[in-house]
Amino acid sequence: MAPLKHLEMENSIIDACFRDFCASHGILTVEDFLLHDLYELAAFAEREANADRLKEGITVMLSLIEVKCRPLLNGMELLEDLQRNKHTLSSGDNGADSLLQGGLREGQLTELVGPSSSGKTQRVLSRISCHTVYDIYTMFDTLQGLEVALRSQVQMNVNEYRLRLLVVDSISSLITPILGGSGSQGRALMVALGYLLKKLAHEHNIAVLVTNHTVGAGESGKTKPALGETWKSIPHVRLMLSRDHRNSNCTISILKHTSMVRTLS
Amino acid sequence: MGEHEARGWIRSDETAKQMLSRVLGDRAFLLLPPLHRVPLRAGNVVEITGSSPTAKTQILIQAAITCILPKTWNGVHYGGLEKLVLFLDLDCRFDVLRLSDMLKNRLLEAYRIGNGAWWQLEESNVKTQDKSKIVYDEELYVSCMKRFLYLRCYDSLELLSTLKVLFYTLHYRIRLQEACGSQVGVLMIDSIGAFHWTDRLSSSLALDKNNRKSLSLTNVVETIVQEMKKLMQVHSLVVIATKATIYEEKYPTNENNRNISSHSDLFGNPSSKAQQPPFREFMPSSWQAFVTHKIFIRKSDDHHKSLGQQNLSAYLLEWLQPQLSSIDRFIVDDVSKLSHLQVLL
Repeated sequence: MAPLKHLEMENSIIDACFRDFCASHGILTVEDFLLHDLYELAAFAEREANADRLKEGITVMLSLIEVKCRPLLNGMELLEDLQRNKHTLSSGDNGADSLLQGGLREGQLTELVGPSSSGKTQRVLSRISCHTVYDIYTMFDTLQGLEVALRSQVQMNVNEYRLRLLVVDSISSLITPILGGSGSQGRALMVALGYLLKKLAHEHNIAVLVTNHTVGAGESGKTKPALGETWKSIPHVRLMLSRDHRNSNCTISILKHTSMVRTLS
Repeated sequence: MGEHEARGWIRSDETAKQMLSRVLGDRAFLLLPPLHRVPLRAGNVVEITGSSPTAKTQILIQAAITCILPKTWNGVHYGGLEKLVLFLDLDCRFDVLRLSDMLKNRLLEAYRIGNGAWWQLEESNVKTQDKSKIVYDEELYVSCMKRFLYLRCYDSLELLSTLKVLFYTLHYRIRLQEACGSQVGVLMIDSIGAFHWTDRLSSSLALDKNNRKSLSLTNVVETIVQEMKKLMQVHSLVVIATKATIYEEKYPTNENNRNISSHSDLFGNPSSKAQQPPFREFMPSSWQAFVTHKIFIRKSDDHHKSLGQQNLSAYLLEWLQPQLSSIDRFIVDDVSKLSHLQVLL
């Protein structure tokens, strides 16, 4: 929550007078500013003595917000970004690559679901640096540290060891302990983690791979991925891995993909 | 008030016929397949609900393509609306390749039909490798892609700031765009319920200070609705939003069950026919009041076999508001096109 007085240093128009006016309408931070109707605020400002200065303050606030917003892109610009930055990484397995039309895509969050001992962990690529994380809060710390490091890397244009792939082995073991009952805290943290991973993937052109385990589905008897209904909308691509113990064949099928139809192969 | 002023007050401004022609010209009806059962006007807000995955984004993309295509180009009829589409991606999962592929397919199809080569269309359905022989109009493709505007937001604060700023950037953007009457036609929001859990968390942590609006779920959604109403006042927009259900579906999805119960209802009290939505509503009342049309999509139990390819899932689309008695059934085939199959009653 950024209080308004921190903005005074760089923008002299956000002075004590403006802040008092805002406080009288219950606006103390930038977030409060976002929740209010600006036309209404400007109309209230008209009644004050220094109306012009107050309205100028509102305009400056809007322009500060605009700087932070992402630009509006059109379809051609999206395609260019895709072709220039988001390459496909081979997953090291020919079968999976042919199913995924190339492999793991940078900028996407891919989920690999399978019951235990179906070979999920073996599909991790080599040349990795490992971080052991035991709970979700450490996970957030690690990811946010990574984000800061990547951003500073981009600014300094260091290009030697660019991070291409981020693997989270067993995101379900991080999240299942906190997903309890109908309280919103666990699910909110799960959603926030999902969005942080997607943001890292898109902004820094990394492919993110997470693994998940399965749970029994009760009446219908088939297994389904863990983490519930809300998690279903988070990954770009969901792959189901199953191993046939009799002939140790591994089958992989697509549960969800952004540009391919769901298949039951 | 003198008699002259009183007469002037009673005299009409325009006849009903003049008014209708003016209003229908400004805010015409749009028919966007596959949502073409109900004609949509500017100011309508459509909400598409379905669990994941039920091809909701696919519907949005198909409607977007109808919007960005021109009506005719170089003598070929495309049947589009030639308007801008503003896509707010709150799910952050949009894949531009899918849009691009579907657009190219549409262009090829319309080109073939337009040039009387409809028989080649049948062939291409069987032999998919030969498609690249016929070239689509590159200039048209680029101009269509430029009419698709995209924004993504990673949390609700970003969404709020984007909506506030959008008002001004949209004016500027439209002026930048070529002046052949490109106005904004549709605002699409992918997954309006995306930040539901994180907002609920922050509302439980909100400090309760008097005179201050806390960053709670209801306040955030209220402000979002307010900003969208302001946008709709200035630009004649149709809003289409998808919503993913976040609670497990307890409603029986067996089609036979539904048919039997709907028949018995016909003889019983027709107004009591399942006014309850078949999913648990979680959006606050300010959003629910804003929505004018509702659609529900669910997976069909039987799969569709087409031309010896693999089993494809079929989906059922049902209009809840206005309540239509027909249910559309469609599949998504491998050219990423929504094929409309049959209408169930």
